[in-house]
Amino acid sequence: MFEFNIFAQDFLNISTVIPSTLALALLILLISIALGGVLAFIEQKRVFVLWKVSQLFRSFLRGTPLLVQLYLAFYCLPVVLQKAALLAYLPFNQNDFNPVYTVIVAYSVHFAVFQSEIIRGSFLSVGYGQIEAAQASGFSFFQTMRRIIIPQAIIEALPNFFNSYLSVIKSLSLAFLVGVVDILAKAKLESALNFRYLESYAAAATAYWLLCSIMTYILGIYEKLIRKRA
Amino acid sequence: MLALKNIRKSFNGTDVLKGISLKVNEGDVVTLIGPSGTGKTTLLRCVNFLEKPDEGEVQFSNFQLNYSHAKKKEILRLRRKSAMVFQQYHLFKNKTAIENVMEAQIVVQKKTKKEAYENSLELLNKVGLVEKKDYYPSQLSGGQQQRISIARALAIKPEILLFDEPTSALDPELVGEVLNVIDQIARTGATILLVTHEMSFAQSISTKVVFMDHGEIVEEGPPSQIFNHSNRLRTKEFLKHFTNNYQKTTSL
Ligand SMILES: Nc1ncnc2c1ncn2[C@@H]1O[C@H](COP(=O)(O)OP(=O)(O)O)[C@@H](O)[C@H]1O
Ligand SMILES: [Mg+2]
Repeated sequence: MFEFNIFAQDFLNISTVIPSTLALALLILLISIALGGVLAFIEQKRVFVLWKVSQLFRSFLRGTPLLVQLYLAFYCLPVVLQKAALLAYLPFNQNDFNPVYTVIVAYSVHFAVFQSEIIRGSFLSVGYGQIEAAQASGFSFFQTMRRIIIPQAIIEALPNFFNSYLSVIKSLSLAFLVGVVDILAKAKLESALNFRYLESYAAAATAYWLLCSIMTYILGIYEKLIRKRA
Repeated sequence: MLALKNIRKSFNGTDVLKGISLKVNEGDVVTLIGPSGTGKTTLLRCVNFLEKPDEGEVQFSNFQLNYSHAKKKEILRLRRKSAMVFQQYHLFKNKTAIENVMEAQIVVQKKTKKEAYENSLELLNKVGLVEKKDYYPSQLSGGQQQRISIARALAIKPEILLFDEPTSALDPELVGEVLNVIDQIARTGATILLVTHEMSFAQSISTKVVFMDHGEIVEEGPPSQIFNHSNRLRTKEFLKHFTNNYQKTTSL
């Protein structure tokens, strides 16, 4: 039956990978926000040809599972980098390539599509009236952006970015399949030693759940703070 | 001083402004009246290039611009000559009342924070809202927001103040406080171009009233002429709609 001792031991062991999982997810989140910003800009401004490419890209990323994208990246990225390195006369061995880089690339690109929509929506939420008010007072485009639009867009976007952070953390459980150890992967490794599957997966579930609850609580405080203004 | 010469503007092939020429002398209060959809808002928006006129010229005391070939820099200069008060206030929602008034002084006029702050306190005092200086727009009534937006407009010391129906979005009981503030500003010698449907207010505050219809100026003159002695059919027809609440809504 369910052995609480084993569960507790598994939970402790799993806890050791929580910081690295959080850090990896944060890195992915930040890169995906930057990429998403670029995508949003390209599509909003209809940048020559690029915006068509961006739409194709978006449609592909939304139309295929993350796991498939991860496998594609896992088999393509090292080969592509190897070829690129050859051309540039750089030393590179695809067999030494750490799969964590593959995860970072695949996930950042995958989530960039969602971030670009969050960013677009948050900019639209500022409303044209305030922009015109700034322009009528003689603000330049960049002054309007920096002083009026971006500060409000960030406040609007933050809760959504926060939710994507939680999605990234949970999605990282797939990264086990290319050999990156996160919370779920750690649980699998634990149970491989003692065959106590139920305890280790329960421990993993508890770890995810706790993380998400803590973050949701923090988000709640933030939203209460900003609601005062809006 | 503001002079507009032959302003033309069309939207999708419909002529909205059909060659408007208009002069507002220093210290004058010129009121634009006319039916909805006549182009009053569009005309005000053309003055500061929120709307790009197809043709026409604008002249301030020491600045002149032909709209059909305006460069970015000139547009910025043009915009710094005037200030606009919008029907829907359009305050910056992420800033407090006093920050709204300070903002353009810091960003556009490059004043120090301290200077802008002190100047803004004075302006908030003028519109009677010093005690609300740290409130966000969402915490203020419509009338209060509009008074803040008037203070914001005054802050850049414009050559002319443009008001586009500043009381039309307000509950009736809040109209008076805003008209009071505008009246007080007019008394200090500010140059004003105002669009309003508050006819009794227009009559008492204006040095000149301009009646517009279908993108054209039909008639202009001192308020007594337009309101009491007009012999133009279109003007009289239009004013008939207001005779009922004409005397009643004396808001001052
Ligand atoms: N951005 C726009 N695009 C298309 N038509 C517009 C636009 N702005 C105004 N119009 C049209 O121009 C006419 C004049 O509008 P407006 O200047 O708002 O009139 P007023 O302020 O006198 O009520 C209206 O018929 C309106 O529909
Ligand atoms: Mg209008």
